[in-house]
Amino acid sequence: MLDDLTAAREQMALSLSFHIIFAVLGVGLPWLMLWARWRGLRRNDPLWTALARRWAKAAGVLFAIGAVSGTVLSVEFGLLWPIFMERFGAALSLPFTLESFAFFLEAIFFGLYLYGWDRLSPKLHLACGIPVAISGMASALFVTTANAWMNGPVGLVKDASGKLVAAQPLGPFLAATTPPQLTHIALAALMCTGLAVASVYATAMLRNPHKRDGYHRRGLAAGAVLGLSVAPLQVLVGDWATRVVYNVQPAKFAAMEGVEHTRNGVPLRFGPLELPRMLSLLLHGNPDAQVRGMDAISAPDQPPQLITHLSFDVMIGIGTALVGLAVWAGYAVWRYRHGGLHPTQQRWLLRALAVAGPAPFVALLAGWIVTEVGRQPWIVFQVMRTTEALTPRHGLAVYFYVTVAVYLMLSVALIAILRRIAAGPTPADVKLTDPQPREHTSSTHAPTRSATR
Amino acid sequence: MSAALGLALVLLAGLTAYAVLGGADFGAGLWDLFAFGSRKHAQRALLEQAMGPVWEANHVWLIFVVITMFSGFPSAFAAISQRLLVPISLALLGIVLRGAAFAFRHYAAPHGGTPVRGTQLWGRIFAISSLLTPFFLGVAGGELLSGAAMWAPLPLLGGALAVLCCAYLAATYLAADAAGIDDAALANDFRLRAIITGIAAGALALAGLLLIPGSIPVLIVVASSATRIGSLLLLRWKRYSLARVAAATAAATVLWGWAAALYPWVIIPGSSVGGLRFLDTAAPPSTAAVVLGVLLAGLAVVTPCYALMLRVLRTP
Repeated sequence: MLDDLTAAREQMALSLSFHIIFAVLGVGLPWLMLWARWRGLRRNDPLWTALARRWAKAAGVLFAIGAVSGTVLSVEFGLLWPIFMERFGAALSLPFTLESFAFFLEAIFFGLYLYGWDRLSPKLHLACGIPVAISGMASALFVTTANAWMNGPVGLVKDASGKLVAAQPLGPFLAATTPPQLTHIALAALMCTGLAVASVYATAMLRNPHKRDGYHRRGLAAGAVLGLSVAPLQVLVGDWATRVVYNVQPAKFAAMEGVEHTRNGVPLRFGPLELPRMLSLLLHGNPDAQVRGMDAISAPDQPPQLITHLSFDVMIGIGTALVGLAVWAGYAVWRYRHGGLHPTQQRWLLRALAVAGPAPFVALLAGWIVTEVGRQPWIVFQVMRTTEALTPRHGLAVYFYVTVAVYLMLSVALIAILRRIAAGPTPADVKLTDPQPREHTSSTHAPTRSATR
Repeated sequence: MSAALGLALVLLAGLTAYAVLGGADFGAGLWDLFAFGSRKHAQRALLEQAMGPVWEANHVWLIFVVITMFSGFPSAFAAISQRLLVPISLALLGIVLRGAAFAFRHYAAPHGGTPVRGTQLWGRIFAISSLLTPFFLGVAGGELLSGAAMWAPLPLLGGALAVLCCAYLAATYLAADAAGIDDAALANDFRLRAIITGIAAGALALAGLLLIPGSIPVLIVVASSATRIGSLLLLRWKRYSLARVAAATAAATVLWGWAAALYPWVIIPGSSVGGLRFLDTAAPPSTAAVVLGVLLAGLAVVTPCYALMLRVLRTP
């Protein structure tokens, strides 16, 4: 049997990882859905409309799983970490309260969107998708705000003896860790969704070359453009986030970069590679600058180093590879525009896109491990230790095992259903005609051209 | 009125909304479990149609309650979480399985044809977890009120009462839905079920009065009895839309009775544990005021949207 602390931590890690996968899809898919619905309406394009319907089904089942697994988290905060919630529940009140309203709006308008295809006018239906996309993103960002505050708490009120008495409700929004963490997770959600979607259509095209039709091309293009255009931005945001970590949480930084000793001219370590003086250069713009290492942190305050560093390397590796893929795909499109093969005729590019589907999810989970494990032994950085937050109740291992079993069952069923949704019949290519010829004839040119591609 | 009291009222309002909206979704699952007779397929189809579009929004009330609880009353949240680890965990398990199973069943054949393998099992899981979730939430409520262990009479009565209230609410709403699509036979099925479970729920609520340690204000008892009898009469007269309102009020007053019996405590002082007064657990006044303001502003935005959703999606 696991001891209570380990069981509680593992259960939290499992519940979060499970939720985060569906949460990011729930954040990203509505944007794709909205785009497809809009294109379908505007160009009277049945292929985009068919994609919008298909994505809405996938989003519907994912949203349900995200909703219940999110509920698990909010209740588990209390069941596993009641002492943490007792002291900081009020400190986290604003982001969570706002999150609940964002979630309300998401659920309300998602219900209207999913069940309103035939009850609402097309324009009104499209409009219902807008609050879904916005509030889905907002709810994810509010939750991340709470997490960012745990990484760099501000607004804590202490009495004359230094004892903590209260926390400012606005604290989470003012934490230095909040802006980079929010941007990082927002981009990650879009990358995961885009590449997962692109991967579905790339796989279909590889299995059956006849599926390189308009429907699959549109699906592939929408996903790949969303996922890959974000990839280079994510590198910049990652750099920003790393700098903030260095300033706010030097122990996490030392663990993730694998810096053991404080010294000048520190190399960048990535897997077996070691780039001399690179870390000093990246961090300070000076190859000889000093970088604080783990030896500056007292032993009881050090996070686990191996897992943090490995996870960080996985994230960086995948992030870099995806930028490479973005360049490759961009080049393929450029070649096509200049008379080359269509990108979907390039089997290796399709293979890469197919493999790239799960990659950002692995990177996301790895990044999450860096954030959470790298913060240990603290639950609220330098304010409360994880051990202090634990419930006094015993036998938590049983709860963990049940959680494992239930989430395993849900994953199996969910994958079966998503595969079934993806495998449905797809509409044949159609010649597009502009339904209402407009004054400026140039706009009628674009849709016909895209249909022949 | 202090911010803490305001927060407590918002909390009770959220709990009430969850009971009368989310509770009916659990009740719908119960009627899936107990669908019988020649029209059982029609019964199942009707309840799936009724809860499908709205159950997720209804479910958010629970998240709203949990968040309001730990934002406004962090120590009470911590105390309840420790005290009720077992029933809350079991209810949570039911919540996860119910929601996931409903979605799986709903999307099992997204393009028609035979459903995905395992769908029948998920259908059963949906129905059974719709029974277990309100039961364990009711047990949790009874445990708080009695201060006793889970398997004492009062928690068990709380569980049974919660299940019956959900069944009664759902049957009343479904009878109204069936009448709305002019299916008199189906409406009659659910009308009968509503009357039976309504009487049973009323009887259990009265039995609960004898068991609870504290007392419930007479006004609440009278209101609860009056709306329950009223809803039963309205059902008998087939005045469904009014019956729906009366049934929801009857369920809400049971919840309010529970809250009034518990108040001012959240943890009732016992032989081994000290008591905890609910309002004493409130967040510091400055925080509480901010949270209350945000909650009221948020509700002002959400409520009209919610009403719009119910109007568009719950009209047959």
